[in-house]
Amino acid sequence: MTRPGLFAAGLVVALGSTVWVVAADAPVVPDGLTSLGAPVTTEQVALGQAVYADNCASCHGANLEGEPDWKRRKDNGRMPAPPHDASGHTWHHADRQLFTITKLGVSAVVPGYESDMPGFEGVLSDDEIGAVLAFIKSTWPERARDFQAEVTANDEGGS
Amino acid sequence: MLNVNSENGRPLRRRCVLFMLGGVAAAGLLPTWRARAGGITAPALAFDDDALVVAGAQVWRFGPSGDGVLLTTPRTPIRGLTCHPNRPGRLFAALDGGGLDRSEDGGRTWAAASGGLPLAQVTALAVAAEAPDTVYAALAEDGLWRSEDAGISWSFVMDRPWLAEAGREVLTLASVNLASGMGGIWIYAGTDQGVTRVPDCFCRWQDVVAGDAMDALVAGTSPAPEAPLPEGEPVKSLVSAHSAPERLYAALPSGLWASTDGGVAWENRSSLHAQALAVDPADPDHIAATSATKLKHSRDCGATWATLAAL
Repeated sequence: MTRPGLFAAGLVVALGSTVWVVAADAPVVPDGLTSLGAPVTTEQVALGQAVYADNCASCHGANLEGEPDWKRRKDNGRMPAPPHDASGHTWHHADRQLFTITKLGVSAVVPGYESDMPGFEGVLSDDEIGAVLAFIKSTWPERARDFQAEVTANDEGGS
Repeated sequence: MLNVNSENGRPLRRRCVLFMLGGVAAAGLLPTWRARAGGITAPALAFDDDALVVAGAQVWRFGPSGDGVLLTTPRTPIRGLTCHPNRPGRLFAALDGGGLDRSEDGGRTWAAASGGLPLAQVTALAVAAEAPDTVYAALAEDGLWRSEDAGISWSFVMDRPWLAEAGREVLTLASVNLASGMGGIWIYAGTDQGVTRVPDCFCRWQDVVAGDAMDALVAGTSPAPEAPLPEGEPVKSLVSAHSAPERLYAALPSGLWASTDGGVAWENRSSLHAQALAVDPADPDHIAATSATKLKHSRDCGATWATLAAL
């Protein structure tokens, strides 16, 4: 094979690998998934995954698994960070609740509740918070997605 | 105990008369007999269809007119009872010292129903209002456990309530069929610091406020209830009417309290000092109560009481 031929073959392999890597890393958005009243996009989930890794994973786990023994109270009386995967209870909450808890803290939904989780107002934009929720929702199995969609629909003002 | 019969129908009144004719010695034994009949100091209570099951060291079943039948003596004294109107005859009992038993025949026979449940005192138990095979048990110094297969297996679901800077024992549990706003209903708990509740997805214990958690958010703040339960009193028993779940009754040292709005506002209905309460599943106005010595009932939401039987 000539030198240009080798170059072309290498380019094809390189491009093919790049395409494969991009395809492998591209978030998968379940059909029909909505969040906060709008269809969830691939870009939104990708942004949410990155924002989650930087701001949420340290407590809620890199794989959304929550803190160990998360159902048992800490010595300070506060509950550990729960998982956001299907083993937790995030999917029992309406979109509006999840957005508000993330932005303003748990006490915004449960007055007086003391939590280690801060509100992210001023740290994350509304779009970034929405993207994190979209990412989390995209990881749930169909049963949890359907349940949460119904809870959201029943929540006045929800999507 | 003058209005009871043994299971085979033989009147106990006759036994009592013969007993009393025994003279001073028999009189000295009477308190012992009464204690065995009544069981422990706080007999447990549950409606099973239209009958009342009272359990302590023994298990009794009382008909609507107060006619009682001794069913059995459990292997361990019973401290708590619960059942579901859609499963007549099935009862769950918390045993003194730990463990749970289940009966499928109205309390005559019992079998262990605590697979996987730690051997710690069950301080309270309740059947889920919408799921008769789901049972909740509160364990001392631990938290809430749930069985979704009628007691065959159990799993830990939630730490105990944290109130006034400390974990609190759950003294009584009630599954209240009011929407939590999270796709399920509420579980209410009575503690020595009042009533608290958790959605049945078990995200967090929280105060009882009007509506659900989102209503509080929309309102901006949680309005203080205009008529709360008195502070500093233990809530010994808390029950929700199956046919009208917003109707709650609570037994406190200060008396019998009732709520018609899911526990936001309370009214003191009488000074009755009850240890355990039960609501007639078919009539939310009809409630029963046990003290250490009597089984009583009220047909006017707890305002007036009549004695059904001595215990």
